[in-house]
Amino acid sequence: MNSTTLSSSAAGIGSADSTPPRRNSKRPKYSRFSQQELPACKPILTPKWVIAAFLLIGAVFIPIGVFSLLASRDVVQIVNQYETDCIPEGSRTDKVGFIRGPQDKTCHRTLSIRRHMKQPIYVYYQLDNFYQNHRRYVKSRSDLQLRSPENEDETKSCQPEGTLNGTKAPIVPCGLIAWSLFNDTYEFSRNKRQLTVNKRGISWKSDRERKFGKNVYPKNFQNGTLQGGARLDSSKPLSEQEDLIVWMRTAALPTFRKLYGKIEVDLNPGDVIDVKLQNNYNTYSFNGKKKLVLSTTSWLGGKNDFIGIAYLSVGGLCFLLATIFTVIYFIKPRELGDPNYLSWNANPGDH
Amino acid sequence: MKRYVYINDDNLAQDLYCDNRISNRKYTIWNFLPKNLWEQFSRFMNQYFLLIACLQLWSLITPVNPASTWGPLIFIFAVSAIKEAWDDYNRYLSDKKANEKEVWIVRQGIRKLIQAQDVRVGNIVWLRENDEVPCDLVLLGTADPQGICYVETAALDGETDLKTRVIPSACMGIDIELLHKIKGVIECPGPDKDIRRLDANMRLFPPFLDNDMFPLTIKNTLLQSCYLRNTEWACGVAVYTGNETKLGMCRGVPEPKLTAVDAMIDKLTGAIFVFQIVVVIVLGIAGNVWKDTEARKLWYVRYPKQGPWYELLIIPLRFELLCSIMIPISIKVSLDLVKGLYAKFIDWDDHMVDLETKTRSNAANTAISEDLGQVEYILTDKTGTLTENKMIFKRCCISGRFYGNENGDALTDTELLNAVSSGSADVIRFLKVMAICNTVIPVRSKSGAISYKAQSQDEEALVRAAARLHMVLANKNGNILEINLNASLLQYEVLDILEFTSERKRMSVVVKDCQSGKIFLLSKGADEAILPHSHAGQEIRTYAETVEQYAQLGLRTLCLAWRELDDDEYQEWALMFKDANSTLIDREWRVAEACQRLEHDLEILGVAAIEDRLQDGVPETIATLRKAGINFWMLTGDKQNTAIQIALSCNFVSPEPKGQLLMVDGKTEDEVCRSLERVLLTMRITNTEPKDVAFVVDGWALEIALKHYRKAFTELAILSRTAICCRVTPSQKAQLVELLKTCDYRTLAIGDGGNDVRMIQQADIGVGISGREGLQAARAADYSIGKFRFLKRLILVHGRYSYNRTAFLSQYSFYKSLLICFIQIFFSFISGVSGTSLFNSVSLMAYNVFYTSVPVLVSVLDKDLSERTVMQHPQILFYCQAGRLLNPSTFAGWFGRSLFHAIVVFAITIHSYALEKSEMEEVSMVALSGCIWLQAFVVALETNSFTVLQHLAIWGNLVGFYAINWIVSAIPSSGMYTIMFRLCKQPLYWITMILIVAAGMGPVLALKYFRYTYRSSKINILQQAERLGGPILSLGNIESQTRTLEKDLSPLSISLPKNRNSSVYEPLLTESPNSTRRSLGAGAPFDFFQSQSRLSTNYSRNCKDN
Repeated sequence: MNSTTLSSSAAGIGSADSTPPRRNSKRPKYSRFSQQELPACKPILTPKWVIAAFLLIGAVFIPIGVFSLLASRDVVQIVNQYETDCIPEGSRTDKVGFIRGPQDKTCHRTLSIRRHMKQPIYVYYQLDNFYQNHRRYVKSRSDLQLRSPENEDETKSCQPEGTLNGTKAPIVPCGLIAWSLFNDTYEFSRNKRQLTVNKRGISWKSDRERKFGKNVYPKNFQNGTLQGGARLDSSKPLSEQEDLIVWMRTAALPTFRKLYGKIEVDLNPGDVIDVKLQNNYNTYSFNGKKKLVLSTTSWLGGKNDFIGIAYLSVGGLCFLLATIFTVIYFIKPRELGDPNYLSWNANPGDH
Repeated sequence: MKRYVYINDDNLAQDLYCDNRISNRKYTIWNFLPKNLWEQFSRFMNQYFLLIACLQLWSLITPVNPASTWGPLIFIFAVSAIKEAWDDYNRYLSDKKANEKEVWIVRQGIRKLIQAQDVRVGNIVWLRENDEVPCDLVLLGTADPQGICYVETAALDGETDLKTRVIPSACMGIDIELLHKIKGVIECPGPDKDIRRLDANMRLFPPFLDNDMFPLTIKNTLLQSCYLRNTEWACGVAVYTGNETKLGMCRGVPEPKLTAVDAMIDKLTGAIFVFQIVVVIVLGIAGNVWKDTEARKLWYVRYPKQGPWYELLIIPLRFELLCSIMIPISIKVSLDLVKGLYAKFIDWDDHMVDLETKTRSNAANTAISEDLGQVEYILTDKTGTLTENKMIFKRCCISGRFYGNENGDALTDTELLNAVSSGSADVIRFLKVMAICNTVIPVRSKSGAISYKAQSQDEEALVRAAARLHMVLANKNGNILEINLNASLLQYEVLDILEFTSERKRMSVVVKDCQSGKIFLLSKGADEAILPHSHAGQEIRTYAETVEQYAQLGLRTLCLAWRELDDDEYQEWALMFKDANSTLIDREWRVAEACQRLEHDLEILGVAAIEDRLQDGVPETIATLRKAGINFWMLTGDKQNTAIQIALSCNFVSPEPKGQLLMVDGKTEDEVCRSLERVLLTMRITNTEPKDVAFVVDGWALEIALKHYRKAFTELAILSRTAICCRVTPSQKAQLVELLKTCDYRTLAIGDGGNDVRMIQQADIGVGISGREGLQAARAADYSIGKFRFLKRLILVHGRYSYNRTAFLSQYSFYKSLLICFIQIFFSFISGVSGTSLFNSVSLMAYNVFYTSVPVLVSVLDKDLSERTVMQHPQILFYCQAGRLLNPSTFAGWFGRSLFHAIVVFAITIHSYALEKSEMEEVSMVALSGCIWLQAFVVALETNSFTVLQHLAIWGNLVGFYAINWIVSAIPSSGMYTIMFRLCKQPLYWITMILIVAAGMGPVLALKYFRYTYRSSKINILQQAERLGGPILSLGNIESQTRTLEKDLSPLSISLPKNRNSSVYEPLLTESPNSTRRSLGAGAPFDFFQSQSRLSTNYSRNCKDN
């Protein structure tokens, strides 16, 4: 863009008024404001500047895109979808019945490592088609109650999971979110040797310290007629119930991953990981998928090609636009501000 | 309803009428809140917002905290309520001051000092010099033995000269002591607002006089808020008090004017409202369907099997609340704010200060600046508006002899001076009429110099001229008038004054020569009001021709006449006149009829010609504004020829070869009809050609045309770019404005006198010139300016900028609201159509109130083109006039842009913050920051000129956004605790922002560049020309061209009067010789550089009809 700075005095004298009052050029600021004569920068879109701008954007975006893609490629991630496989063949016609039944729901999965995975390796569970952002659900919590024991009666927003079976006994933590806490568990072993999964520090530090009280203990939780998800150890304060804290950070999208734990050793190519999982959580009634994810991380976070591709395409488009504009500029040059285009005679309403 | 006022009666009539407490207040302390709220809620927008706010109290459906709507709503209401309260408090203070002022009244025969508010109808009020009159009084006595007092009525009608008031003849000569005991009754009509009329009668009770009725007129009154001047004391009886005085009745709130832009915004708001309803219905149905098919399967949501009866409504209502931000609650406040600033810019403008009187321009109505940029018709008064209204006696014709023709100034014409000194009888009589036949008051200062106070500029000019010619009006002492003629003193007694009315168009006085005892009638007036009444046998043709000739020079003419009266004739007539004067019904008409009886068989003495110079810069202003596509109509009470002459000399119509004047005249319906049809026919033929066609119509023909041929006349009005209406009355001026308004044109009326007030109030925009005819017009007007030439700046600079800025601001307000609303809608598709809000309450509230309203407010400083360029290319105003910057199609562009940006922000956010990063608060803040970044760049892209303030607002706002969010993120109890810190530490966040900006702005920039360069509008071209510096300079010769054009016009108009005359009086039809010239004109090339002057002509009407 081209910019010209017009001084105020030039504008003032040029006015076609026959007798503009003379004023000295050193005028105070407020007066310049009141006369609408503040010095102004007036950029216009000249081909040079526009083409240069697009070239510049392209030149910046393509490298960023490449770096992002590389970062995303560096991330090693193993995804294992298990919600169907973990139902015994015989029960697959009635998955909901199985998951609600009392049977043993242990399930074994094997993950083979193809590329070296540097520690820490994050273990996520991924749910598809699970609406944590549903309005009935997302509002069904009481932050006050979570924070301190005095507010345990603040369960108004938690309906229909505020009090125990309609009595006055408050449920801590109340609400649908806590009630539907994810309860599949995973145990990892490599070459028959247990891989410890560190489940401490998987939640946000600020949540542990400020949002979930150190002296708030679960109370009446999952004691109602309807059983939701996981139970909580009522001897541990909420601030230490990290699975709950993670779960309570609701996801904005119906497909989301939540941190289950961290494996703090490197995994090498060729390693075979055995997973012993308890398939307890009911996603079958709404055809939700469950996935177990092991992933390393990069400066951009987990594996996500979107940023890289988007940057490359925007950069490419900018180059394309710059080329098109250049070609048009040479094929059909048009002088800017040519007064010949100012044909007042022609009907100005034509365009 | 008549009222009977018993003078000085302490028992009666105490409580019959209201007391003298003045109250301009709209509210009292008790009714302020309900009344103010009621007023505010009578607006549709406010009702809508209230409904939304109330719905939000229902926690089942509200997506966010109700505070997000209640906060801004209460803020907006508080702001306007406080403004009202402040105004009302100031009114209360000024009322209180007036009410508690102390005045002398008479109680039980003794003078007492009481507060003004305790004055009652019937009380006698005593005033001293320079006192303000507390209520409407009928004079009873003054210090002057002749019963005269002087008042200044500036506060009432804006006229600064002193006016004389006389006591009724019944009270003449009553002793000051007796005045304390006077009793009587005044019969007067109920309160009205006519400050120029009072038709009342008075009867004094014995012992004062017999039971005779005496007529009272406005001359016998002292009206509230006037000041007593040059008179030691005066007393009068209160007839109207408090808010029932003439002034009190005149008060009143004028109808608020709605600008075209406001109307368009309302229309667009309505469209958005409909769109919102559609969205709500569609999403509501989708939500209910999804709930029944899908959500019931989601065990963790636990939908109850059986909901309440209103279950089906819940989801639609939630969406209604979610979408309620589509209509920006901030737009009203933003618009009020910027409109106030536009008005201030007009007040502050140094270019629009009248240096002579040091008066600044003033915008009394702060709400209609945009309309200035959309004016299509300007209806202008002539005298005082186009001209200076500084009357100077220039020429005269006395008994067939012309004076002042050679040197253009009769006062220095030796022939006339010789005639005066030699005592030529005709000349002396002429001068006597000049000096006597008027209502001028001579005021002798201490040094002995005489100055004249006059209501009419013409009269003052005549008296001054007479004084220069040794006929000095020296003193007016009651009815006795003294004249110095060459050191000898002549005395005359004024017996009657037959006053000037705009219907009669003449005034006369009956005087008695104190030496000889002879009675004379002296008259002066317009030619058509005097010449027909000349006595048979007098040759009036020469006078008629003289008048014609003077008029063609642009001079105002007055015919002077006299007649000697028989004593008997006068006595007989005087009775009749008195009778007419004391009637209560139709007095004006009866008086006029009585006057008619006397004003006949006049001997015409001569014709006086008075010059009224054009104001500076009038021709240039009119030329520029016409080039800007504005049509001019001149509405004047003056003669046709004078009007046409002035029109020619100020570029109103072009001289003969190019311009063409078509007459609409006739005295009967048939004649008018025929001439109207003829003119229409010509008009239709010439409409396509580059000719300057104007029609001329006089008051009489106009009356008939408006009554019987309204349709034809309307068509004529639409076809014609220029019109001259002469001899029109104030109400006809207003009718013409009304006519143009019914054709959906934006009209601007400009005038300076009381006779323009109705037209000014009627027009979309009223502009008053604070001139010599007083401030009446300026007070009634929306804008007052010192000189006509400021109109150019008012329209082209202030009007145009205001329109452009409002157009941007309003559309931008919708854009940003729609942007965030679309994101909410998209989010609802991935949240089970359940009506979840992506954004939290704090963000939603702050988005409208802080984040997006500050940058757009500085658009009041935006200038797309410099003032200089606009002045050089006034044609650019077309874009404003035709509403090119704010209409459904531009709005559709903004709508599309917000949809596109919403898609960009939403898609990028949910893809880059997917899976393990899809935490609700984070996603919400990423999307919000994306919106804020985009809107900053949108404002930057749409800003044409960046001043420091704009940079500060746009980029400072971005910084402010982060500052506010960091603060909120630092509060542990807030939902977004630590979120913003967390995000700002992530490289992904910044990379996402850059991506959103590039993806959102890239296409917009490319599109804008393409249109700017290859489909450029005239504005774009001028911007390029202006900023690249080059070619604009070569266009700079426009002004000089018009000036030279104007120069060679004026001699032409004088040297070829005959030529024009023919064109004026013979409407040119197709077979007239002009047809050849017309074809020539059409074939001429219309290059921009070569034919500046002709541009406006073929900048034809049809372009604005599309």
